[in-house]
Amino acid sequence: MKGVDARLFSAISAAKLLKLTIKALGGGGTAAPGLLAEYIDPSALRKLAKYYQGSVIVTGTNGKTTTSRLLGNILSVGKISFIHNRAGSNLLRGLVGTLIDNFTFTQKDKNLALLEVDEATLPAATSATNPKIIIFNNLFRDQLDRYGEVDKIRSIWQKAILHLDSSTALVLNSDDHSVAHLASSSRSRAIYFGIEDKNLSLGQLPHASDFTSCIACEGELRFDEVYLSHLGKYRCASCGLVRPKPDVAAEQIFLQEEKGFMAKIRTPKGLLELKVGLPGLYNVYNALAAVSAALALGIGLPVIKKGVEGSLAAFGRTEKISLEDNKNLFIALVKNPAGFNEILRTLFSKKEQKWVLIAINDLIADGRDVSWLWDVDFEVLAGKTKKLWISGIRAADMALRIKYSGINLDTAVEENIEAAIEKAIEKMPVGETLYVLPTYTVMLALKKILAAKGASEQFWED
Amino acid sequence: MSTYGDRGNVLTIWQRCRWRGIEVEVKEIDLKEKINPAEIDFYFFGGGQDQAQKIVSSDLQRYKKDDLRKAARLGAVFFAICGGYQLLGHYYRPALGDELTGLGLLDVVTVAGNQRMIGNIVVELNEKLKLNKENLLVGFENHSGRTYIGKRAAALGKVVVGYGNNGEDRTEGAYQGNVFGCYLHGPILPKNPNFTDFLIEKALFRRFGKIQLTKLDNDLEDKAHEVAIERARESR
Repeated sequence: MKGVDARLFSAISAAKLLKLTIKALGGGGTAAPGLLAEYIDPSALRKLAKYYQGSVIVTGTNGKTTTSRLLGNILSVGKISFIHNRAGSNLLRGLVGTLIDNFTFTQKDKNLALLEVDEATLPAATSATNPKIIIFNNLFRDQLDRYGEVDKIRSIWQKAILHLDSSTALVLNSDDHSVAHLASSSRSRAIYFGIEDKNLSLGQLPHASDFTSCIACEGELRFDEVYLSHLGKYRCASCGLVRPKPDVAAEQIFLQEEKGFMAKIRTPKGLLELKVGLPGLYNVYNALAAVSAALALGIGLPVIKKGVEGSLAAFGRTEKISLEDNKNLFIALVKNPAGFNEILRTLFSKKEQKWVLIAINDLIADGRDVSWLWDVDFEVLAGKTKKLWISGIRAADMALRIKYSGINLDTAVEENIEAAIEKAIEKMPVGETLYVLPTYTVMLALKKILAAKGASEQFWED
Repeated sequence: MSTYGDRGNVLTIWQRCRWRGIEVEVKEIDLKEKINPAEIDFYFFGGGQDQAQKIVSSDLQRYKKDDLRKAARLGAVFFAICGGYQLLGHYYRPALGDELTGLGLLDVVTVAGNQRMIGNIVVELNEKLKLNKENLLVGFENHSGRTYIGKRAAALGKVVVGYGNNGEDRTEGAYQGNVFGCYLHGPILPKNPNFTDFLIEKALFRRFGKIQLTKLDNDLEDKAHEVAIERARESR
């Protein structure tokens, strides 16, 4: 315990004790011990960070968990020792808890800390952990009830990186106007990633797009290509602001529905051909972010390729689970219009009809305001479902959304999640897959239900 | 402007008319576009963030103010949410920077507050509006602006659960003639079908006089309405 100050020592000890107690009682998680440590020593994160070899921070509205997993897998393949807040515990207490979990009083080698960080927690995490890299994936409308407005998030990010210098690299999505220009006010290095594939352009901005006017001059943005929500090749007609040219660019992308994607990625180190088992265009962005960060850490292309291609989906993030009777569940977390639209686009682009369950809760972690359902383009479901089950605390709102979409679907409403999933699986013929689209707390409930059935093995691990 | 589900309000008016055989044309009004007050019966005005609101405020002053005032005089219905509501008033005064001038169609003023008022909200409609059926409005509020009502406008209703216009006087929303504004997202209209029909009747009046709308099956709407009330009571 040489060098550990007294207050931090008590904070760590108390947190470790609490963790053991919770574990003995059959629980898990890192948030409660972290919260306790933070209470005992308010500068716990800053002090703990000194025992690590700097951090890699991943933030953004969508894709934090998947991007950190991809990067984590690359680090593992590259034999770089690191720790990761895998539990998705991405608020301050979760970060503190994770750093304590991996802390031993006798440790000699310093690990790298790979931290998935909530949008609003970014300033605290940045100032306390000496980041080598910060990945800004994207910024969409999400849980406005928690943060107010997306403009505000952008401005706290901007402030958080003001003091950084060139020892930090910012990995920025060049296609997202709201994060691409963050580097302009900071002395840190910037690495841009983006998509350069005309075949995937949507043609026009979808309804749920957020940033359509220029951040510099408020003029109207023109999009030569739109890939996803407000992400694309933009330029401002009034002040001349343009999308930065991506250093790491996906040039030929083949989306293979729920199976995943193949892409040719141009990098400063040469061409990278990837075959990834994570579906949807949003996962192309996640992979690009992870590849860019790995390159910034000096990792070679063969290691990156092996790491990305060996990655599996996190629980509930486009994961397929086998059940009895050769039936399957496919679970894809939905939490905001941009993400939901992409899931719909990935799953329902072909003619084939699917068994679907949509479950919407309105607890704090889901976002208490369910207005966002009206920004999702459910109209694409027309003729694409065999049966649509609707569940969750806000099942009625969801059912109403479908009613006003004017499409005619065979729907059934069952508020109780356990009952809904039981019925949906039972009514479905042998050999079929039920596509479950849950909000966050429904996904957690689902995890428990499936664990009780013995269908989902990794429980606390994720 | 359109944030957070505002599209649902337009969709609801459109569908509830269509289901009754009333044809509706939805026209999106762009920046710099002029308005023909003789043509439009119903103006919906959604919410927006600070930046959008600033742009829209100056656009309204420059291109649309006179025609919109004329439209209101001719009896068109206006319905605005959140940022749109604020711009129907006289002004929005931010904590820093210039005041945003509104249209002055509603005798209300809004000043920036330092606490954001967020959560489920239930409002009892002003009895002067004479909606004799269900008289509660449900929705979700999320604003830091505090709105105060002047003499010529009246409150749309009284707060049962939530903050309302300013978190102080228990009023929510405002109306003046056929101009209505409030803070309720949710979106408001799908879950409050009687209020929606009330607005539709008002919009039809100018061309067709008093019309009794045919009844629609509101089971799902009523269910969502009830759930919203429950959630508001549980979460506050």
